[in-house]
Amino acid sequence: MGGKSAEDGLDENGHYTLVLVRHGESQWNKENRFTGWVDVPLAETGIDEAKRASNSLKSEGFSFDVMFTSLLQRAIKTGLLILEDLGLLWIPVDKDWRLNERHYGALQGLNKKETVEKHGSEQVNLWRRSYDTPPPPMSPDSPYWAGNQPQHKSLKDLPSTECLKDTVARVLPWWKEVCAPAIKSGRKVLVAAHGNSLRALVKYLDGLSDEEICSLNIPTAIPLVYKLDKNLKPVRAEGAYAPLSGRYLGDPEMVRNAIEGVANQTGKK
Amino acid sequence: MGKIHTLVLIRHGESQWNIENRFTGWVDVPLAPSGVAESHRAAQSIKEEGLEFDLVYTSTLKRAIKTAWNILEDLDIMHTPVHHDWRLNERMYGALQGLDKTETVEKHGMDQVLIWRRSYATPPPPMPADHEFHPRKEKKYDFLSDAELPVTESLACVVKRFMPLWNDTLMPIIKSGKKLLISAHGNTLRALVKHLDNIPEDVIANLNIPTSVPLVYHLEETDDGDLKPVKIEGAFAPMSGKYLGDQEAIKAAIAGVANQAGKK
Repeated sequence: MGGKSAEDGLDENGHYTLVLVRHGESQWNKENRFTGWVDVPLAETGIDEAKRASNSLKSEGFSFDVMFTSLLQRAIKTGLLILEDLGLLWIPVDKDWRLNERHYGALQGLNKKETVEKHGSEQVNLWRRSYDTPPPPMSPDSPYWAGNQPQHKSLKDLPSTECLKDTVARVLPWWKEVCAPAIKSGRKVLVAAHGNSLRALVKYLDGLSDEEICSLNIPTAIPLVYKLDKNLKPVRAEGAYAPLSGRYLGDPEMVRNAIEGVANQTGKK
Repeated sequence: MGKIHTLVLIRHGESQWNIENRFTGWVDVPLAPSGVAESHRAAQSIKEEGLEFDLVYTSTLKRAIKTAWNILEDLDIMHTPVHHDWRLNERMYGALQGLDKTETVEKHGMDQVLIWRRSYATPPPPMPADHEFHPRKEKKYDFLSDAELPVTESLACVVKRFMPLWNDTLMPIIKSGKKLLISAHGNTLRALVKHLDNIPEDVIANLNIPTSVPLVYHLEETDDGDLKPVKIEGAFAPMSGKYLGDQEAIKAAIAGVANQAGKK
């Protein structure tokens, strides 16, 4: 499993290991507000969730050579808490905007319930769960305009909104340019990111359809372990959680509840 | 006058082994809770001074890395790129690593221990290959050949392995206009300020850089491509740089470090 592995990063079955983790509860999750690219911190509960994630990884002897994360602190901090707990604060950490959460356009900052009251739940559902309908674009004079954020202001082609399709379009180049080469060079990779950037990634890895990915819930702060063959195609894990080839670490009951819990929380994200 | 760049240096705060009074060097001990608190205090000084960073360089030791992360978090800039380089590590303390300082003095005598600790070029005894804390046991140093991996170091050795990082990597970064924060250790910062301010060997070996007090340098680009410090108002002699924070408290802290013969 984890523990000592070959310099080429392959496990005893000749497979690469890739671990994905979605950050835990943020301050705005608690306040029930659409977040997107706004750089809100983790809530205390989100910090606890990161500890739970690192415990699962520790108990199975996981180690990493590099961590990839977004430019948003809720994911960065989740990743750092895991690395700290595993004694890996020294490994390279590469932060990339292409792992950011989906940009939520003009909805960023708004309370979710109020938005439903204003626009109707059907419209809001479309913005939240369709594949290619983005929320209304954010205007440049919004307090949340990405061009005013220190981490985003020098990016070319700043989005003013995104649908999941747009998120996929910028995650895939990141996979090809950054992550895939790192894995192939034998490095064990941890990706600490967000619900939609991870959806984009697993959609690609597992060849999921647009419909399948829109209804897929990735639970927060539960490490999702992928095994990849030499061509970086997923090898179905024992205990894989369909439709994914990867398996979640942790108590199966807890995992099942977490996944179904996200589906049922229509008031939350 | 050439272009002026700001460089911020910080030495990590109290570690678990500072409290236990043990020689540390390359052993990767965590910050003590007091050291964590010190890092937040440092962040506050930096914030009040209005300093910004584009990039952080730190060592591969968690006590310096964590100090850097706490500062970034408090400044709300966790997205800032952070690079870890072994050449910013604390001086490697050889066979003394892990030993209690008082016991070491009892065993070898105060004079000998003082030479190991405060001379410029006399390293402690080398660490044997089977030592509990041998860096070969750590994956993070796999990429260093046996010739490159130190088994003990004097301050002179630290200067020797640090300067290529400064010349080849850090100087170009600063000259490119990037605002750099270096979070490191007592002896690597000694190596740096020795170079910047041309401090003699016997003086630098006894220069106390207080923990977790941001040290700000203004560096001017010279015609020949070098970076020379410009003396800042409030500079703390013999350095051109100034410490951020309560100056009286800092003076007392420095005097305190000098007097704590039992601590580092």
